[in-house]
Amino acid sequence: MHKNPVIVSCCRTAIGRSHPQRGYYRNVRGDELSHAVIAAVVTKSGIDPAHIEDVVLGTTQQQGELGGNVARVSALCAGLPLSVAGTTVNRLCGSSLQALSQACHSIAAGAEDVQIVAGVEHMHHLPMEKDIDLHPRLFERTSRAAISMGMTAEYLAASLGISREEQESYAFQSHHKACQAVDSGAFEDEIIPHRAHDEGGMPILVVRDQSVRADASLLAMSQLDPAFLPRLGTVTAATSAPLSDGAAAMMVMSTETAEKYSLQPLVRVLATAVVGVPPALMGTGPVAAVQKLLFRAGVSLDRIDLIEINEAFAAQSIACIRQLQVDPSRVNVHGGSLAIGHPLGASGARICTTLVHAMHARKAKLGVATMCIGLGQGIAVLLERIEL
Amino acid sequence: MAKKRSSSPKTERVDGVLRSIIPFTDLSLRTLTVDRDPNGIVVVSFDVPDRSLNVLTREVLEELAYVLDHIQNTAPPTGLVLVSARAGSFFAGADLQAIDQLFSQPEERIRLACDSGRALFARLSTQPWPSVSVIEGLCLGGGLELALACDLRIAIDSPNTSLGLPEVKLGLLPGWGGTVRLPRLVGLSSAVEMIAGGESVSPQKAFRMGLIDEVVSSELALAAAKNLIAEQLGNRQWLQRRKKLAEPINIDPVEVSFLEATAGAVIGARAKGRYPAPPRILATLLEASQHDAALASSLESDAFFELAHNPVTARLIGVFHLGQRNARDPGIPRADLKPLLIESVGVVGAGIMGCGIAASHIRHDFSVSIVDVSELSLSKAIPPLLEEAAWDRESRAALPSRALELAGRLRSSTMLSSLRGSQLIIESVVERSDIKQAVLGELESMIGPETILATNTSTNPIEKLARCLSYPERFLGMHFFNPVRRMTLVEIIRGPSTSDQTIVTVVAHAKRLGKCPIVVRDSPGFLVNRVLMPYLHEAVEMVREGVDVARIDRLSRRFGMPMGPLELYDMIGLDTAFYAGVVLSTAFGERIESSPVIPAMVRSGRLGRKSSAGFYQYSPKGKMLKPDQTIYELIEPYQLRTGEWSDDQITDRLFLPIVQEAALVLDEQIVREACDIDLAVIHGLGFPAFRGGLLAWADSLGASDILMRLKQFESLGSRMRPAPRLLDMARRGGSFYASMSKGPQ
Repeated sequence: MHKNPVIVSCCRTAIGRSHPQRGYYRNVRGDELSHAVIAAVVTKSGIDPAHIEDVVLGTTQQQGELGGNVARVSALCAGLPLSVAGTTVNRLCGSSLQALSQACHSIAAGAEDVQIVAGVEHMHHLPMEKDIDLHPRLFERTSRAAISMGMTAEYLAASLGISREEQESYAFQSHHKACQAVDSGAFEDEIIPHRAHDEGGMPILVVRDQSVRADASLLAMSQLDPAFLPRLGTVTAATSAPLSDGAAAMMVMSTETAEKYSLQPLVRVLATAVVGVPPALMGTGPVAAVQKLLFRAGVSLDRIDLIEINEAFAAQSIACIRQLQVDPSRVNVHGGSLAIGHPLGASGARICTTLVHAMHARKAKLGVATMCIGLGQGIAVLLERIEL
Repeated sequence: MAKKRSSSPKTERVDGVLRSIIPFTDLSLRTLTVDRDPNGIVVVSFDVPDRSLNVLTREVLEELAYVLDHIQNTAPPTGLVLVSARAGSFFAGADLQAIDQLFSQPEERIRLACDSGRALFARLSTQPWPSVSVIEGLCLGGGLELALACDLRIAIDSPNTSLGLPEVKLGLLPGWGGTVRLPRLVGLSSAVEMIAGGESVSPQKAFRMGLIDEVVSSELALAAAKNLIAEQLGNRQWLQRRKKLAEPINIDPVEVSFLEATAGAVIGARAKGRYPAPPRILATLLEASQHDAALASSLESDAFFELAHNPVTARLIGVFHLGQRNARDPGIPRADLKPLLIESVGVVGAGIMGCGIAASHIRHDFSVSIVDVSELSLSKAIPPLLEEAAWDRESRAALPSRALELAGRLRSSTMLSSLRGSQLIIESVVERSDIKQAVLGELESMIGPETILATNTSTNPIEKLARCLSYPERFLGMHFFNPVRRMTLVEIIRGPSTSDQTIVTVVAHAKRLGKCPIVVRDSPGFLVNRVLMPYLHEAVEMVREGVDVARIDRLSRRFGMPMGPLELYDMIGLDTAFYAGVVLSTAFGERIESSPVIPAMVRSGRLGRKSSAGFYQYSPKGKMLKPDQTIYELIEPYQLRTGEWSDDQITDRLFLPIVQEAALVLDEQIVREACDIDLAVIHGLGFPAFRGGLLAWADSLGASDILMRLKQFESLGSRMRPAPRLLDMARRGGSFYASMSKGPQ
């Protein structure tokens, strides 16, 4: 890359459950969450908004309150100058990691430089299957069951011999690590408070992820019915990422520009990669994506100190950890999406935000964020911490 | 397209060249006519005589082969169009009578029949010109395989048009290349779904899948077919498609393995090891996908032969024939009576049953007036009623536009007088004879002499309700089952005074609702509840003997029932079951004393699902939890002492008493024939079709074997004493079905 892209600031909302009666954001529009994180990331960065050139925002359900190019809508509603452009991108679950990648490519290519990368999803207001009408010819290449992400997780579990107990233990760990992160204040820096309603309907400012369970219990998990494959299945609600609402944003620019405006960058973005895999194996997309990423960067896996693997399913995450042969103690050190939640289009920016904070907290040198993507893709990004 | 068949082929429309090669007028082709247009496109129109729908008889196949020979050998056409001249069916399938005969044949004959049909269809896809089938109405089984053998397919946009491969429902798989061509055309995953599921699709869905190439109106169909041929002759895409259809399927091996795992799990859970066809279909399709069409065809042939010899297949086909027989049966053996056509229907009572009955009617295009005493009940009942009526199977949702359209067929009122114009009024008020009598009496005073009055009841004797009527000859019972949308059985209960004309009219009417009507003589419990009683009773007796609740239900499900007897009790509601039990034990108490357990459970507030406690516990959301161990305390005073029972003995104790009761039902002429009982238990109780029906199952054991099995339960009391008919059958070597007449053909 000719110019080196850096992340100068990043933040996210607390992630809410997509629950019509109890979800934090049940009365909050999805685009209000993206306005909020965009405004906050500008303030956090300390940049003069006049220098911002573009907003690149990832979301999968680009309709309704998130329709009509919600990136531009969010830029305007967040009060950014009219000169700031906006584009909404979609790589399903990888959308906002894609937003980060393409913003960095633009920087490297000498095109738009100062950009806000964001992601938003409101799976209560806009359920993931709403108005999706896939072409039946698609099923010449794959199966209808491959559209059910849960079935792909079941397949990984069955074909790789990942037991229900192993999945539950993994999910339990995810909650455990997330709780530790909450208790130690690890999320305080990354979460911006947002007005919401608690489960009883009281208006509150939320700063805690709604799905993280301090009372997660292996016994309770073991009593759940399979969520996708009645009786035979091993994947349950506890070992699948919860449906979630939330948003996250990052300020990116070139090293040169950060220096010019005297801004302190947090991490360098060293490389990006995307890859296709069989739709049935969508959960293992991160394996191929990370291998491609590391090859591209000329870095070996043992040099990666921290890795964020988006936890769509416990079985899927375990499959990636096994196949990449990565040390589990380096993975999702602040808990993963099984606990925190997975607001599809926002998750890429969310895991990056969490990774950047974790890298600074642990003085990690290199970090990778990677995600699996429906219909068989993987995406990965390599970050390098900058000493503050 | 709805060209009427003329007695002789239309020679005037055949051009000179063709007439000289095929002397159609002399040929006596009975099932098809051939026409050739100035551009050389030959149109073959099928119209199979002596059949209500076009079916692929041997004659059709021979005549098609003949036509293919001649047009090829003499004046090759530029393209071929296959079309039905019979409105309502392209081809409804192969000729089942011929298939039946085939099963008794040796392997070579079966293979030959398969191979010759497949070879004929294969000829279509190897001719040096493109072919198009024009599909209107039913295009099922062999009919769809014929259409698949053409290079292109056009479907006519009509609610009557449906395409499917239902062979799996008869325990078979398509044997004329369907398993080879469909996955190569629409993809392996969609083909597995369609062939292993057996459900038909609409032209719209077929188009989206890629199963057909165009959906057009009937006026445009023939011209569209010819346009397609011209287009294909230009771009030669039909040749590419033929190549694709001949090759192995191009799909990633991982995806094949994924489909095997996921579809296998779904199919396995549904077939439960009882139905051999679905798993065999999956295995065949998966294996064949890796080979070219020729090898795939021989794999299809192997699977067809294997399934044809499976006894389950014969039973499923037997059940299918029972249904066909029922469809032809006017309900009573009187061919002289013609059913009156009912167009307007009244329903009294907007409860669950009344609404289900009304919804089923408007869904089938009847105008319905529904009456309830309460304006509030009506206003609450009508939205879900319309939603049910507008339910769309393909999208699994009610279609709002359809609901609005159907709303025009529904009127509601709190006045019985609004039913004055109805030809059939179905009273479905609360199950109390005094209220029913009052409503029926009032109705009779305001309706014309032609109007038929029916009561939907499960427990009230028709004779008793009829006492208040001046014209009991036009009164009868129509016992619908809950939920009406799904349950296809309707017991048509004939009171002592009900006229034959009333019966044939209502039987015909029930069929227009897509139901399976069984005529039952008025007697306690009618048919289904009566044969159900000993089964439920025996289950409770076993609980009293200390047999585990879950074990009883598990063994019943293992036998093939959709749910066990104790789960069923909970679903029906213990209070409802108790009330029905009183009616039955009053009538048949000498054989079956009413059990003290049910009233004790009702007294303790265990009413089943609705009170979250019965034989099982239920979560507040209604999910079944585990058996309620405290019931054992509750029934302690009623405990019985017996020995240990094996699984087989428990199963026999559940099902043999039903056979016993059915034997008495036949003796008492509650129904006419064994097949009525089998249809009723399959449609009304979910008795497993793979056993062929209750009495077909009993016949498969044989009367002597049943007597032997009953003997081990002698000590349980008179209810296990063999029914006279069983003793007689054992003596004479007879069976339930052997004593059946041939019935209406």
